[in-house]
Amino acid sequence: MTTSTAKTGGYTGIDLNADRNRNSTLGAVALAILGLVWANGHLDGYQMQLLNLVAINAILAVSLNFIYGFAGMFSLGHAGFMAIGAYVSALCILTPDQKDMIWLLEPIWGPLNTVHTSFFVSVLLGGLAAALCGFLIAFPVMRLGGDYLGIATLGFAEIIRVLFTNWPALTNGAIGLRGIPAYANLWWNYAWLGLTLFVILAILKSNFGNVLKSIRDDEIAAQTMGINTTAYRTMAFCLGAFFAGVGGALMGSLVTTIQPKMFNFLLTFNIMMIVVAGGLGSITGSLVGAAVVTLMLEWLRIIEYPIDVNMTYLMGHAWLQVLITALALAALWFSFRQVRKSGRGLSMKKALWSLPIVFCGLILAGFVLRWLNADILPAEFTIPGIPGMRMLLFSVALILIIIFRRQGMMGSREFSWNAFYRFFRVPEKQKNIPMAKGAAMEISGVTMRFGGVTAIDNLSMTIPEKKVVGLIGPNGAGKTTVFNVITGFYRPQEGRVVFQGLPMTQLEPRTVCAVGVARTFQNIRLFAGGTVLENVMTGCHVRQDSRWWMAPLRLPMFHKEENEIRRKSYALLARLGLAELADEKAASLPYGAQRRLEIARALATDPSFLLLDEPAAGMNPQESGELMRFIEKVRDEFDLTILMIEHDMKVVMGVCSHIWVLEYGRLIAEGGPDDIRSNPKVISAYLGHQATETA
Amino acid sequence: MTFELFIQNFFNALTVGSLYALIAIGYTMVYGILRFINFAHGDVFMVGAYFIFFGAATFALPWPLAAVAAIVGSAALGIIVDRIAYRPLREAPRISALISAIGVSFLLENLGLVIFTGLPRPAVQPEWMVNPIILGNIRILPISFIVPLVTAVLVMGLLWLVYRTRPGLAMRAISRDIETTRLMGVSIDRIIALTFGLGSALAAAAGIMWAMRYPQIHPFMGVMPGFKAFIAAVVGGIGSIQGAVLGGVLLGTVEIMAVAFYPELSGYRDAFAFVLLIVILLFRPTGLLGEKLDDKI
Repeated sequence: MTTSTAKTGGYTGIDLNADRNRNSTLGAVALAILGLVWANGHLDGYQMQLLNLVAINAILAVSLNFIYGFAGMFSLGHAGFMAIGAYVSALCILTPDQKDMIWLLEPIWGPLNTVHTSFFVSVLLGGLAAALCGFLIAFPVMRLGGDYLGIATLGFAEIIRVLFTNWPALTNGAIGLRGIPAYANLWWNYAWLGLTLFVILAILKSNFGNVLKSIRDDEIAAQTMGINTTAYRTMAFCLGAFFAGVGGALMGSLVTTIQPKMFNFLLTFNIMMIVVAGGLGSITGSLVGAAVVTLMLEWLRIIEYPIDVNMTYLMGHAWLQVLITALALAALWFSFRQVRKSGRGLSMKKALWSLPIVFCGLILAGFVLRWLNADILPAEFTIPGIPGMRMLLFSVALILIIIFRRQGMMGSREFSWNAFYRFFRVPEKQKNIPMAKGAAMEISGVTMRFGGVTAIDNLSMTIPEKKVVGLIGPNGAGKTTVFNVITGFYRPQEGRVVFQGLPMTQLEPRTVCAVGVARTFQNIRLFAGGTVLENVMTGCHVRQDSRWWMAPLRLPMFHKEENEIRRKSYALLARLGLAELADEKAASLPYGAQRRLEIARALATDPSFLLLDEPAAGMNPQESGELMRFIEKVRDEFDLTILMIEHDMKVVMGVCSHIWVLEYGRLIAEGGPDDIRSNPKVISAYLGHQATETA
Repeated sequence: MTFELFIQNFFNALTVGSLYALIAIGYTMVYGILRFINFAHGDVFMVGAYFIFFGAATFALPWPLAAVAAIVGSAALGIIVDRIAYRPLREAPRISALISAIGVSFLLENLGLVIFTGLPRPAVQPEWMVNPIILGNIRILPISFIVPLVTAVLVMGLLWLVYRTRPGLAMRAISRDIETTRLMGVSIDRIIALTFGLGSALAAAAGIMWAMRYPQIHPFMGVMPGFKAFIAAVVGGIGSIQGAVLGGVLLGTVEIMAVAFYPELSGYRDAFAFVLLIVILLFRPTGLLGEKLDDKI
């Protein structure tokens, strides 16, 4: 691979922050170890148990996510692999004496009575046994894939359960195994979690991770890339099974008693819940999900126990009544609005929002009854605990997540130190950089590469103030990339962009907007669901001083500014001839009006520099003629600099006082319209070399 | 084994097999159209059994009326489940709909636990069903005749509907090519709802008869028959109604006869179906009567 470096122009793809990130990881691990030391000394038995469960569930969730989210296979057999891991490990760590005591019905099988290994080896063997079974099951059904794999693995888990119930010589039958040595403490569990993460992340971050995802996304395309998809799928499945076995082994030693019926489908369901809630395809999500779901499952046990409601206490404390009534009324009002908003006819949304209405209505009715001294409600009553309620809530949650937020908490995003530090980075005080007189923006030596492709090559432009200027070039010349560099979507590898003395290349897109550079997009990007007015008002947000929490408080400052924004937006629409469309949905506007609205929205941010990306695209000669007048009007009335990308030569030559021409990311010409029109390089770029020869 | 015992086992097998077949039809129809395993189907079966219990015991409806009410109620449930939990996910990756279906399955089971409590309920059996028919040394419950008969009638009706009516034509067309069928002006959502309704009605019928045969109703009674019926559908060839019937009867026979001939295997009864599944997937992945579904490249 060494030969390719020259071609890619020095791009190595190495993370410049690798050292910092590695140190951060080490620091986080050290911190986690300290946390565990603290937990070991300070938490009670129940809390420790929970903390242990979180680690084990995290191992199980990460392994299932590896199969689901990365290798794209649907497996429902996790409980089966856990059972194998738990039993194999238990058989290895039970002492021969214990085995004599446990296997009463039928003596234990042959040499097993003398086997005794250390805990680590036993967990490893449990994982390996699970992986082996995974291989045996994967081998026949892997080529079928899809739903068949799901049902076959489910069947496998059931077979394991039935087999373990009916094989007393190996498993002691339905009674199960008791008194398994409780080796699985915090240290072991978290160490295994660390190992799981290390192995799985190492694979996912390597090119083999890309291979797995390619099989997930398009198996046929992956095969044509020379990938043995069956082999990789089998590998991923077995690795997932291995860690499921490890999780099962740890679980067995944590709870010290295992029975075949423990490893039912509910167990798989819980882990699936973690993976889905965290986000299919996000290891970070699985870790967060493991903590959230494990704790929720514990805390929600409350609702399966009776709850005492003491109305006398409640009625004796006025503030409690006021608080509860206020909350109920607020919830009622909010839900009513949601129901009204969801339109006519029956819909899912309406049905869902009706539930809180009923609930709050009942609470309020209860209060009214008490105030009227009606004895319909007893002063003290108990809401009985309802078994099954907890899993009911969880299944509803699972369905709601999958319907309304399929990506879970994290989607397929991952935690990264780069994102972490970006979040905490304090913007540096920038020194003003002197600029040439009369220049609005200076682009100097900007180079932008994507992998081996150089999209912009050493580009320098000095853009004069208060002028309309153009950037042209054939398709793929890198024009839009220039816009994306200016507006902070791309960070160029070299060079800088200076705007009003301010270096721009490290700014976020929103900061670029705040300093006064606005843009439109080649493919119109309006907020399609909002009205024309709402789109423009959104543009005003960047200059807004009031904050969101002032809205419910109805502060005077908020009111004043809100009205101001509304007035200003109307005025803007009126100036651009869109006033009568103010309440139309943005998406319903005709094409030309959408283009104008996008410009109006950009102007609402009070820019002093406006970037227009192909404003005349898709317009007929008459429309583009109007657009030219419109652009000149905007420049004069709003007193700003406009840089536009445009293919329509009539528009470019008509309104631009200065033009830059890009080809393959290089500047090939610049000058006034007449210079450009007659420049042979430009003609050949547009029409091919032959045209210049014959011309 | 004596001949009498064999006859009794034969009818047992036929009964269980017919019930598997009725449930399997629901799986196979939905899979044929949407390529999606409706995990909650077994729980619709359970709800059907509860409906007739409450219809007959709580509301004191006459038995046939209660049966009709239970079937209609379950069909409505099937349609509602599709509307709420599956239709929003038609365009989503397949795994999402599957997870949603598993969620619905747990929802129905736990809703049953919350509303009906976990206490097993006795099924209400009409007098004439309880007294066995005695032919010489053979004692056979009337239900063992009724179940295969009712099943045969229901399957005939379904086949007529699928092969001789316009909605049936639309169903078959959707299972070939959903997009083209949409372009032909068929209301896809309505046909899919009809499919769910029919499948659920058949599952409820099976649930009612199951409760007659094994008179204990509890919220998790649908889990195992559900899994096994799905396996029956795969064995018969998923997407084929005739295949589902064949698979169901075959699976019932294997289960009953294996235990009849080898009583020592009775502990493994629940595992037979899954072993059969894996064997079929190994040697004939499209099932006995199924056609190969190819992915377009």
